[in-house]
Amino acid sequence: MATPLPINVGRLTQIAGFELVRMFLTKRGLIALAAFALVWLIILRYPIGQAVSIISSPNFEQIARDISGSIGLSKLLDWPEAEFAMYWLIALYSFPVFSLFICSDQTVGDRERGTLRFLSLRSTRFEILFGRFIGQLAVLTCLVAITLVATLAVLGYRDPSLLVGGVGRAVSIFSILIVTFAPFVALMTLINTFARSSRLSIVLAILYFTAGGIVVGLLQWQIPALSVLDYLFPGVQIEQLAGQNLPLLSAVGIPLVQTAVLLAVAQRIFARSSL
Amino acid sequence: MNPLITGRNLSKSYGSKLALNNVNFEIEQGAPVALVGPNGAGKTTLFSLLCGYIAPSNGELEILGHKPGSAALFNKVSALPQDAQLDPRFNIDKQLAFYAKLQGMSTKQSQTEALRVLDLVGLREIAKNRAGDLSHGMRKRVTIAQALIGSPQIVMLDEATAGLDPIHAREVRELVSTLSSEATFILSSHDLTELERLCSQVLHLDKGVLSEHQTKVNQTDKHFYTLMLNEMYENVEQQLQLLNGVSSVYMSQHKEYVIEYTQSEQALDIALLQFCHQHNWQYRQLVNGHTLENQIFKQEKV
Repeated sequence: MATPLPINVGRLTQIAGFELVRMFLTKRGLIALAAFALVWLIILRYPIGQAVSIISSPNFEQIARDISGSIGLSKLLDWPEAEFAMYWLIALYSFPVFSLFICSDQTVGDRERGTLRFLSLRSTRFEILFGRFIGQLAVLTCLVAITLVATLAVLGYRDPSLLVGGVGRAVSIFSILIVTFAPFVALMTLINTFARSSRLSIVLAILYFTAGGIVVGLLQWQIPALSVLDYLFPGVQIEQLAGQNLPLLSAVGIPLVQTAVLLAVAQRIFARSSL
Repeated sequence: MNPLITGRNLSKSYGSKLALNNVNFEIEQGAPVALVGPNGAGKTTLFSLLCGYIAPSNGELEILGHKPGSAALFNKVSALPQDAQLDPRFNIDKQLAFYAKLQGMSTKQSQTEALRVLDLVGLREIAKNRAGDLSHGMRKRVTIAQALIGSPQIVMLDEATAGLDPIHAREVRELVSTLSSEATFILSSHDLTELERLCSQVLHLDKGVLSEHQTKVNQTDKHFYTLMLNEMYENVEQQLQLLNGVSSVYMSQHKEYVIEYTQSEQALDIALLQFCHQHNWQYRQLVNGHTLENQIFKQEKV
């Protein structure tokens, strides 16, 4: 069986880079990209494009503050870049779901087809697994970056004086979002090591969050100390993060630890699995 | 000379099914080695172990002094795994170049290498096609091409000619024959005639148990010829028995006779052909020794 180490950075980069090619230069990838672009055009045109008028409407403001305050989002209403406040909420909740779909075929398709057999004669299993993870995260990073730049353009079109502050805000949002989404990609990396198809990977991921959530909820109901099991689920911190009510250390630390654990388990399974 | 591959007490089981049973073998650098056996004999399991796709249940396997699948073997060992396919969504040249880059080539070198190996299998003109658009035979040849990237020392081809038309199967055989001075090929196939032509060492697997045969030389004191005739003639066995030096004759299969003889100064093969001519027997082939098929079936019958 292949020894997982040493890691060759060149091979790792090649494998990760090929994921970008797969997303942006294949028909299937381009169709997914077109669907993504259409959805985001609508999001940019309506919720984000009209963020200011929605938020600054006198009637809406009080209602929004009441509702936002009760769910901990009041800090967002103080952002001068209303577009980013809207973007932040939409991206934070939509990208994790989206990432489960676009990252559903990291290794499973190649394994079922036998293509991984060609790869494993040229790179270690760790390089394949970690390279694919990095590649998928890079795809997600590109998509987040594109939508952020588009949001920045909408902001600049409304009020150019907000652009400078907007860039800083965009960078900060970008960094937090990527770290937040990493465990979702890693979860799909893990599921790919034992699932039989990308569709099954998606089904298993949905079951993990729904059935898993119910089981953990029941366990917590019996033994409250088991609330720590919430950390088994990527995105556990998103609710607090959405209202900017989470310390930076937790906002970054929780997803990074989750990602590391998920990847370690995935590597353990992948290194022992038959190709 | 150190063997390229050493397997010691190698076993592999899937649940209660024993696919390989305490297999021991050595493969040295040189002429192609054949791996034969009926379906389910354990050939693909042994290939998978050699490539590091699966781990043995027991025993040790070393390739060039390393465990199969280890990074030290990249660029030295290549393989055509049975039924493995390239990604159908990508151009052939892009995928082959990607593999070449993983083997350490630059972007430019990898593109040249992709075309070189496609040329070897006669498919340079489809370099820009997607794998999914190719016929079964073409896909097979492309996957053979990927096994030839770089300069591997060991090339393992599992059922390389299965599904190929006779012309392309012959081309693959010629390719293996040409490249066998540069790399040691390990071939698995059901076509025993093909393996007989190419290989000197034959590893025969049956029900997970391995035995070895040599195709090019008579290993024992007994000497044999195998005579294949075009038609069935009367009393062939009895008449061949009359030849000087022949100790026994039996019909191994339809129109095929195995002649055991004692070696003497007189060349029996010449006498045999003259004998056929005198009796007006049309012969198809005279094999020095047993055919591989007869060796294997004889052993299975025992």
